[in-house]
Amino acid sequence: MEGLGINLGYLLVQIFNFGIMFVVLKEWAYKPILNMLETRRETIARGLEDARVAAEARANAEQKAQEILAEAQAKAAEVVRAASERAGEVGKEVKAEAEAEAAKILERARADAETEKERVLADLRPQVAALAIAAAQKLVGEALDEKRQRALLDEFFSGVKSGKVVVVEETFAGQDVTVVSALPLSNEEQAAIQKDLGAAGVNFTVDPKILGGLIVKAGDRVLDASVAARLEGMRAAIA
Amino acid sequence: MEQSNWRWGFNRWLVLAFIIASVFAARAYPPIRPHVQLPAEPLSHHPLFTLPVIGDFYLTNTLVALVLVDIILLLLAFSIRQQAKNGGLQMLKGIGGAVEAFLEALYGMTESTAGKWAKAIFPYFATIMLMVLVANWMELIPGVDSIGFLEKSAHGYVANGSFLVKEEVAHGTEGFVVVPWIRVVSTDLNFTVALALISVFMTQVIGVRAQGAAYFTKFWNTHTLFNKPVFGAIDFGVGLLELISEFSKILSFSFRLFGNIFAGSVMLFVIGALVPVFAQSAILLLEAFVGIIQALVFGMLTMTFMAQATQGHGEHHEEAHA
Amino acid sequence: MSGDIVAAAKLIGAGLAMIGALGGGIGIGLSAHGAVQGIARNPDAAGAVQTNMILGIAFAEAVAIYCLVVALLILFVF
Repeated sequence: MEGLGINLGYLLVQIFNFGIMFVVLKEWAYKPILNMLETRRETIARGLEDARVAAEARANAEQKAQEILAEAQAKAAEVVRAASERAGEVGKEVKAEAEAEAAKILERARADAETEKERVLADLRPQVAALAIAAAQKLVGEALDEKRQRALLDEFFSGVKSGKVVVVEETFAGQDVTVVSALPLSNEEQAAIQKDLGAAGVNFTVDPKILGGLIVKAGDRVLDASVAARLEGMRAAIA
Repeated sequence: MEQSNWRWGFNRWLVLAFIIASVFAARAYPPIRPHVQLPAEPLSHHPLFTLPVIGDFYLTNTLVALVLVDIILLLLAFSIRQQAKNGGLQMLKGIGGAVEAFLEALYGMTESTAGKWAKAIFPYFATIMLMVLVANWMELIPGVDSIGFLEKSAHGYVANGSFLVKEEVAHGTEGFVVVPWIRVVSTDLNFTVALALISVFMTQVIGVRAQGAAYFTKFWNTHTLFNKPVFGAIDFGVGLLELISEFSKILSFSFRLFGNIFAGSVMLFVIGALVPVFAQSAILLLEAFVGIIQALVFGMLTMTFMAQATQGHGEHHEEAHA
Repeated sequence: MSGDIVAAAKLIGAGLAMIGALGGGIGIGLSAHGAVQGIARNPDAAGAVQTNMILGIAFAEAVAIYCLVVALLILFVF
């Protein structure tokens, strides 16, 4: 041992020296450095954790935003749908109203036109009578009594002679009848017809195509005593 | 960098100048082969003090080197402590940062080997590593191992002033040898044996801390002695071999470090005496490498043995037979 | 004269003892060979391979160190 230089005293010195260095280095160098490592590791872990949490929060926020957006879109669609429904209803109402109005206007116009036509025909009647008399005078060559001629014409057109319906024999007691004449009838004639037919109610209409006389319609019965029908009968008989 | 733009460089001329200067220096004062001595040389003729059992205690040149190693490490530790105190727990600056990076690498190595026992094992690993590394690299400093007192010796050289001259002394008279003031502490067996003793002893301590009394079944393995007739006897024998290997660890630890560094310094002497110009520079590079490798080996083997001691011997055994 | 013979025998013995370092050298070479091959095949495992290589080299070197111890004992102790 002596030859190798190993000596208990030096050995102990070295061991004690190592002990001192061990303690001092451990306290002064290793502890702060290991703490540093630990804190650095923790910082990194915390940073990663924070990043993870933040990413999660962002994902959540995005999802929530998506949800809110979808909700808003659904609500908007609902509102639009309801509005368009109501608008459709309103439009339909308006349309119906307008249609009704138009129909009313049309009806009124038609009625107006009818009365106008009747008025025109009524205005025409004296002139037609005058024309007929003039034609007859030319034909007969002599002037009949003016009054008698008028009565004849009136009879021709109305089928009524001195308060009696001469063209129709039947009576229509208690029935509603429609009387068609070639020219509008005067009030006296109308009253006479109603009285003579014994009908409960008479509806007078004008149709110039029958030329003269009357057509009486009661339910499904039609009595054709018109000049046109008589002329047709005559034409059939001649042929 | 202006110099790097020069076509012929600058540093190469410096190297050439140093080589030429060393040729002249070697011509003027031819280097002599120093006296190789295994034990550390005492610097004082009278012992510092005398202990009752141990005997005389001299101040040796390796003790001077040991004090230098201690001072360097204490300054490092102190600067780290101050920085950690003042600067909170941020990054260290300057040489402290280098030490920190080095220790961090060591800690990572310890953690990957020893797992949860890393905190207990790391201080031994790091202290051994730092001390051995600083001690080994001290060999590279010029003047270490070569500046010292002239001592009278039976086989020395003629002294001329404070230099030795390459001249054999006349037979019968005494010559002189150099007793260096500083000699690398790793070339003192006391240092390496002390480290090896601590390493092996602390391995047992950590093993007992980790496993309790069960640790000693590694050496006195009677578990399987009666259940498995043949293998039980083999296991018992292996346990005894483990006990022997613990002692041989002390031997191999201490002599590995001592042998490598002592051989390195002897090689530096011999190369320096044989080829005084330039050759030593290459050897110095090699010695720097050997120095860090030996420090790493000493520390890492300690760490690995400690890590193995924390793991139960039993599991390993089952695995081995499975 | 006999002292000189003893000194010469010591030197020869120490030299012969160091022949044992041959085994350590071969072992270190083999382990380095294996480690380099392993690293070349799997460069990612370089750290682990290096660590284990250094440990293996340390064990192989132990044999050479016993030789050194014997040589030193012969030279300086006996």
